[in-house]
Amino acid sequence: MSLRRIWLLIWKEFTQLLRDRSMIPLIFLLPVIQLVMFGYVIGTDVKDLRTAILDLDGTPASHRVVEGFTSSGYFVAVARPVDEAGVRKTLDGNTAQVAIIIPKGFADKVRRGQATKLSVIVDGSDAKTASVAQGYAGSIVANLSSKLYPSPAAKPGVTTPVGVDARVRVLFNPTMRAVNTMVPALLAFILMLSTQNLMSQSIVKERERGTLEQLFVTPIGRAEYLIGKLLPYVAVAIIQILVVFTVGTLWFKVPFSGSVAVLGVGLGLFMITALGQGMLVSLMSRTRYQAQQAGTFLMVPSMMLSGFVFPLSSMPAVLIPLTYLIPLRYILVIVRSNFVKGSGFVALWPQFLAMIIFSIAIFGLGLSRFQKKLND
Amino acid sequence: MRMPWNPQQPESCVPDSLVHSDDAIVVSGMRKSFGDFAAVDGIDFTVKKGEIFGFLGPNGSGKTTTIRMLCGVIEPTGGGARVMGYDICSQAELVRANIGYMSQKFSLFQDLTVDENLKFYAGIYGLSAAKFAERRGYILEMADLRGREKELTGNLSVGWKQRLALGCATIHEPRLIFLDEPTSGVDPTARRHFWELLNELAAGGVTLFVTTHYMDEATHCNRLAFIYRGRIIAAGTPHEIKDELARDTILQVEVADGEGALAALEGEPGIKEAYMQGAMLHVNVGERSAAEADLPSRLGSAGFRVLGTDRVEPTLEDAFVHLVGKQGGRA
Repeated sequence: MSLRRIWLLIWKEFTQLLRDRSMIPLIFLLPVIQLVMFGYVIGTDVKDLRTAILDLDGTPASHRVVEGFTSSGYFVAVARPVDEAGVRKTLDGNTAQVAIIIPKGFADKVRRGQATKLSVIVDGSDAKTASVAQGYAGSIVANLSSKLYPSPAAKPGVTTPVGVDARVRVLFNPTMRAVNTMVPALLAFILMLSTQNLMSQSIVKERERGTLEQLFVTPIGRAEYLIGKLLPYVAVAIIQILVVFTVGTLWFKVPFSGSVAVLGVGLGLFMITALGQGMLVSLMSRTRYQAQQAGTFLMVPSMMLSGFVFPLSSMPAVLIPLTYLIPLRYILVIVRSNFVKGSGFVALWPQFLAMIIFSIAIFGLGLSRFQKKLND
Repeated sequence: MRMPWNPQQPESCVPDSLVHSDDAIVVSGMRKSFGDFAAVDGIDFTVKKGEIFGFLGPNGSGKTTTIRMLCGVIEPTGGGARVMGYDICSQAELVRANIGYMSQKFSLFQDLTVDENLKFYAGIYGLSAAKFAERRGYILEMADLRGREKELTGNLSVGWKQRLALGCATIHEPRLIFLDEPTSGVDPTARRHFWELLNELAAGGVTLFVTTHYMDEATHCNRLAFIYRGRIIAAGTPHEIKDELARDTILQVEVADGEGALAALEGEPGIKEAYMQGAMLHVNVGERSAAEADLPSRLGSAGFRVLGTDRVEPTLEDAFVHLVGKQGGRA
């Protein structure tokens, strides 16, 4: 290992990058353009929202309310916490997206014809899901209200002083701006674009032009070459992440309530995965065009099946198992939850575990295939 | 520095008894297989220091694989080689530090300037600042690139690129240079100029290991080896190789329909080999004379009009076709 040779390789890579006039605008503008574009994509049909139910009343009337939600097809009960702290935990850990709290004395008040209050809490860190959930909850509650209070007062057109009043509260992302969840997601997505695509393009370019062949008859070792190739794109990715973060928080005014450490570890693991994918792409491709196609081939399922563009909750059931194979899926939960609700390692351990497994498996595979290819 | 003998790979070492101090390359039983396919199938040869050694063979015959092994880029599956005294398996990095390599692609960084390319390779080979200044001056002079130091390499003409590539490959003044088809795709003037540079290097005692498609270039070499289907089928001076055909008569036939005449002659009695050489038909009629072979009347009766027949001195190309033909007959 020679630091001088590694440094020369990095200098060479940057000189080449900076000489390419289309590169600099691409590095700095692409993240911002994507920020603007994806930031305003509107969610579509959302079903099967994971719902936590806290029934503090436990009466036939409260059961009817629960049933009203679960039989609608929009809400699926996944957790039944016993207190408010438990509700909070299911939302933090992403077990549930919606929580319904029925207060004690609900049935009594209904029987006495008094106004009652329900709490519907929606996790706003996925803005599209949240806005749809809010709408559904509102209409279900209105429907329940007319059944529980079959008095003339509830007749259509007549303003009723009594009924069920659902206080829908959006937790974490009260304004529900889509951009609040797109900014963290873009951190991961841009990272993948830069490390995977730019790096594989640059390796394939080197092979196409024969310079790779030339480098390996010099004293440059394989490890030196790889480090000299990986580090520049890691640097580019970090610059882009800082651009998205800065523009996102300052210009789009996305609040950041997470921790840099959690975000950094998550994105670091994801970067290792993306670099591994980049190596695999560069090995599969003989020309830069092929590398581009292979990159797109990997990018499309990542975008579609990770929850980046379309919420996972609106996905057909047959596709759901596939989403578990997409590394972007896990990092999106990490960055979004951390950014918007400040979830830490404890709440996000399953996602971190998945990221560790992916980074070891994919980077390891890329590295071993790369070594093997060079030996033939 | 000698690496300790590795009992697991005794065959990958060339015995010291085979290596003499005036040998640049000693190859012993070297093999490389990719799965079931033996790209290089146990070859032996020696290149003396200061020689221009020509390594010839058709595409896919194992030429490039051999060079990649000798440069310490890939390991042989069996046998081995010493290059400038270093073992290609256990001392690959030392081998690479002591050789120069230039391929047909002139593998320069097209998007770096002339100076940046030089700076990069000088750094990779660990040249000191003073040494770099000296070598840079020499290479710019040699490649005729003074005043173009800041120009992008991609914008240079092919001849310049080729000379700069040679400069980059020799910036560390290696005593052995591998040149893999260095002149393919270069115009004749630039080719001649390039060979002048190579002859200058050889005159300074540098060993050159050259592969080429051009037979006229092969005659520039002190010694040649032909590789075909992974095996060396002939080795020697250009003269010795042409001597293979010394007793044969090679006739150059000018005929209107060369391809048709070729088909008519192939496999006929008394015809050892027939093949196209440019627009001309070359026919090896063995130890018979032109008169005995009587090609004009034989072809004439088959309906081909012969415009002329000349006996020619065998060229390396004739020798090569002959050698490959012999090999095919044996297989």
